[in-house]
Amino acid sequence: MAALRREGRRFATPLISPRPIAAIRSPFLSEEDAPLGVRSISTQIVRNRMKSVKNIQKITKAMKMVAASKLRAIQVKAENSRGLWQPFTALLGDTPTVDAKKNVIVTISSDKGLCGGINSTAVKISKSLHKLNSGPDKENKYVILGEKAKAILVRDSKKDIELIITELQKNPLNYTQVSVLADDILKNVEFDALRIIYSKFHSVVSFLPTMATVLSPELVEREAESGGKLGELDSYEIEGGETKGEILQNLAEFQFSCVMFNAVLENACSEQGARMSAMDSSSRNAGEMLDRLTLTYNRTRQASITTELIEIISGASALEG
Amino acid sequence: MASNAAVPFWRAAGMTYISYSNICANLVRNCLKEPYKTEALTREKVHFSISKWTDGKPQKPTIRSDTPEE
Repeated sequence: MAALRREGRRFATPLISPRPIAAIRSPFLSEEDAPLGVRSISTQIVRNRMKSVKNIQKITKAMKMVAASKLRAIQVKAENSRGLWQPFTALLGDTPTVDAKKNVIVTISSDKGLCGGINSTAVKISKSLHKLNSGPDKENKYVILGEKAKAILVRDSKKDIELIITELQKNPLNYTQVSVLADDILKNVEFDALRIIYSKFHSVVSFLPTMATVLSPELVEREAESGGKLGELDSYEIEGGETKGEILQNLAEFQFSCVMFNAVLENACSEQGARMSAMDSSSRNAGEMLDRLTLTYNRTRQASITTELIEIISGASALEG
Repeated sequence: MASNAAVPFWRAAGMTYISYSNICANLVRNCLKEPYKTEALTREKVHFSISKWTDGKPQKPTIRSDTPEE
């Protein structure tokens, strides 16, 4: 656009309009054959645009392939990690509707961009969860993983943020890293219930934001009294010298660590998958843009050839006649 | 629910179950023989940057990392 405006101004100064109106109007005038003798836009500009769009198409295609290969590697890990928390859900049940006074919302997002809408949907859900759980005596805090959610949440929920964690994917993801992270969260934040929000990877084109709930041991005791799955915990025999309270505490910490591991891996898979589809649609759009630009290029080229021919012929006939 | 039984030594020292299991896993990894040992130890690398926020203000982020900062 700036290039067009510059072209227009070059034609505008020979015209005797001193006002900037001509400079603004001439980009539009220069697109068709204007009656004031302004030529159509030069093919150079269209050629430059075509070159840059073609480069963009190549880059996005390459990014898509890189994301596809990373996805393959990490998908295996994510599927293997599902086995870590399934026994916990079988034992303790998953109770998203539990009423907790201190809720901590752990939002998992990516550090890098260009990955479609997954980060904004995760943040949207965290915000609505926050609103859902707000009440007279309830407290909601955020723990944020990843730069993208940080950027969005820092803008309007500053006072509810407890911890922000970034640079998680510098080394390939492994359990030790996530468990150290979970340990830090447990040490720094008091909670009755932890709600982990991440995008679960169902397939290459579908990533749904999901919420996993981990309860603190005291809450588990309380819920156990009200029956349901947790009430059956008493029917298990406890070996060794530990009491039920201790076992529950160990279990709760380990459950948090396993659920976090799975959540981080699934979110990474969803990030790569979303990046693949975003880059794919970007290359397709670049291809369409290239087609349209090629047509414009050919039209302008033919129009300028015709104009030259007309000038030559009219000049020649003026000489004769 | 105060337990009369003695808490395990690591709980009394302030460690959580997670750190306890990580230390045990590290011990197991160190028992491996050579080619597998370095592979397993690369699976243990930790790096992230954490910053605590109080009252809407971030404090200085600390980087927890096993790799030495250059």
